[in-house]
Amino acid sequence: MNTNNYSIHIRKEKRSLVRIDSFRFFSGEITFLFGESGIGKSLISRALYGLLDPQELTISINDTPFKQYLQNEKTKHIRKNSFFVFQEPSSHLNPLETLSTQLNEGDLSETGGEDELLSRLWDGADQLKIKDLLSIYPKPHRPSGGEKQRILLTMAFKKINLIQKKSTGYSDTFFVFDEPTGSLDNHYRNIFLDILFEKFEHNPFSALIITHDYSIISEIYKRHNNLLSQIRFNELSRNGDRVVQNDFSPDKYLNWLKNAPKLTPPDQNKVTPDNPVLVLKSGLQVFGYKLTFLDKNQNQTDIKIYPGEMVYLKAPSGTGKTTIAKIIMGLIPANNLNMEISGYKINEKTSTHFYKRKIWGKASGLVFQHADEALNRKSTVMETFKGLPLKRKDRISNLKNQFNHLFIKESQDKSFLKKQTTFLSGGQKQRLNILRTVILNTKLLILDEPLNGLDFESIKVVLQMFMERQQAGTGILLISHNEEIFGKIVPEDKIYYLQSEIL
Amino acid sequence: MKIKISEKKDKLWLFTWIGGILLIWIWDMVFLNNPALRQIEEGFINTFIISFMVIIFSLFFAWMIIIIDTTVNNIRFKGIKLLLTFILNLLRSVPQIIGILAGYILLTYFITGNVINNHLLIILFIALIISLFVFQEIVDLMRERIDYFKKSDFFNAMSVCGISEFRIINYDILWKNSRIHLLNKLISIFGIAVFLQCSVDFIISVGLSTEISRVNLPVTLGGLLAKIDSKQDILAIGQIFGNPLYIINIFVEHLQGITIAFLIVFTLLSSYKISNGYSERYRL
Repeated sequence: MNTNNYSIHIRKEKRSLVRIDSFRFFSGEITFLFGESGIGKSLISRALYGLLDPQELTISINDTPFKQYLQNEKTKHIRKNSFFVFQEPSSHLNPLETLSTQLNEGDLSETGGEDELLSRLWDGADQLKIKDLLSIYPKPHRPSGGEKQRILLTMAFKKINLIQKKSTGYSDTFFVFDEPTGSLDNHYRNIFLDILFEKFEHNPFSALIITHDYSIISEIYKRHNNLLSQIRFNELSRNGDRVVQNDFSPDKYLNWLKNAPKLTPPDQNKVTPDNPVLVLKSGLQVFGYKLTFLDKNQNQTDIKIYPGEMVYLKAPSGTGKTTIAKIIMGLIPANNLNMEISGYKINEKTSTHFYKRKIWGKASGLVFQHADEALNRKSTVMETFKGLPLKRKDRISNLKNQFNHLFIKESQDKSFLKKQTTFLSGGQKQRLNILRTVILNTKLLILDEPLNGLDFESIKVVLQMFMERQQAGTGILLISHNEEIFGKIVPEDKIYYLQSEIL
Repeated sequence: MKIKISEKKDKLWLFTWIGGILLIWIWDMVFLNNPALRQIEEGFINTFIISFMVIIFSLFFAWMIIIIDTTVNNIRFKGIKLLLTFILNLLRSVPQIIGILAGYILLTYFITGNVINNHLLIILFIALIISLFVFQEIVDLMRERIDYFKKSDFFNAMSVCGISEFRIINYDILWKNSRIHLLNKLISIFGIAVFLQCSVDFIISVGLSTEISRVNLPVTLGGLLAKIDSKQDILAIGQIFGNPLYIINIFVEHLQGITIAFLIVFTLLSSYKISNGYSERYRL
């Protein structure tokens, strides 16, 4: 196997975006690349694939200007014999052509196997339904994010079919899958992995898979362990102004998961378990759907969270988990709403003024899913905490402690507090997003995809923080697609399933 | 270098404007008679101060309206909101020139009644009148920015953390995220103020003899343009068509009118270019 080693430096005007002295990918192997959001995984892979704009960015690869790198014969070969699956599927698809046309564009028309791939990626769905989908022009809302992602994966697999048919050597291939399962639930993610490894086993190629989903490791160890010798797990981390690529030991994750911390009952002195912090009745109606909650036996139930309890709400993508969080916080109106937060009875007639006076930042807090959109990007790290209802001195000293705990490396650097949030990495933004709400010490804490964009070390620190809050008596509602981790931590009887049906 | 200059068109035009004004001032010092030069200097300074004060007043009024908006939204009595909307719409329905002319009538009344007799107060009053008819452009921009951010997660995420709406709107949205947009709008408000002031001053000064008038308004570029000397200087440009060599006389003998016209047109053009360049630089 050949190792491809690159030094890459990407700048925008005077600001360095990514600088890595040694980025390696291995011919004829599949490399899974982890690391917190915003560290430069996508940027590096796009640079290597030749997809960045040299007018906008100053890029050098192995000390060669980007324009020269693009003219390199090897780069041309790689681009001809490979495929790049974009993180955001909408940016890949042409809105002026049907999906069917796009599936057969360029040399993709030279190979078949499309029907079989589509059928598998849609898990044996009705062919007519798939054909109907292929006839549409992609729009922002249709097909869904998951469907668009599966269309792109079909294209990538068709390209793999083609190079396998032509018997192209794997040294000339570089398939990049940037967050290929970001919009897929575990079931469809596993189908993707099955197809990928089947094709790889048939005739190896070089692939780089960028992901935040550490539970992929478990799936590979469970079902594809015969290929472990050809699979690498790497992680990008920051070291000063440089990014470094290290091996990520799968055992680190698997052992941690095996011994994952279990929730323990809260401190009885601090908690009065008689009064729930949240009661949310099933049957609320929103956007033409009726939402119901099911318990572990699939019986309809209401969500009840007592102080010191962590409750996990599970559902496939697009069912309405985030909508539920926003309904609880009074941000989305719902009909047939019957809810109680810390003893305050709430229904569809409850006004926003009531939420402002009694709920927001007082009885309940919500950590939004996308830190990038939830933070004021023009504010500094320090300014993010200004205006929060933190008047008491002990709360402010608590903020300092929690900050130092969540930002161990960054707290050494005094200039970090003055840094604009727009220049933080995705993982730093997410930790800041979490801290802003957790520090409020509300009785109910709602966490919407709290592990988004975090690397493994940060995941551990953040989970510890949540468990400390739970111990101190906070009732926590978790919403996450990360079933493997939360399924281990949260007891089975505290897991609810969300179901939606058209009215 | 070419890219850098095109990226900073606003700065380039700001320096061009200042340079152009300085150049014509030096030229006038050499070729224009002293009393006329003093009048132009006074007219330019007054026009500049009034336009600048229009910016300050307009920004103040607009921000006050936004603060009232936020407060009214948080109280149950919706009548205040309706009243505020009615007053703003009423003001908006009045054509700017008509509104400012009406303001001048009020100013004249105050001057003749000796309520206002200070030169500085008169200038501030004129600025106040003009700003009353232009400040809603800033209100519209502020509301647009607030609405845009209210639709995003950013506003909701801060709200549910218990951060007051007042702070989110005034500090996080307007100050932190809209300063550049507001500054761009203020540059164009400066241009609008120069234009409106010159237009109204020109209208009310035509045929008005300052010597016999009971009311002495401050000298402005618009007022100076209406003077018979200035008009004759401008009309003299027509001579060039018959006698091209007459152009030399234009820049030596007809300087008063030419200078005033140049100052008005060049200032309007420059403020337009500065505003455009600023928009391009910050991709607004």
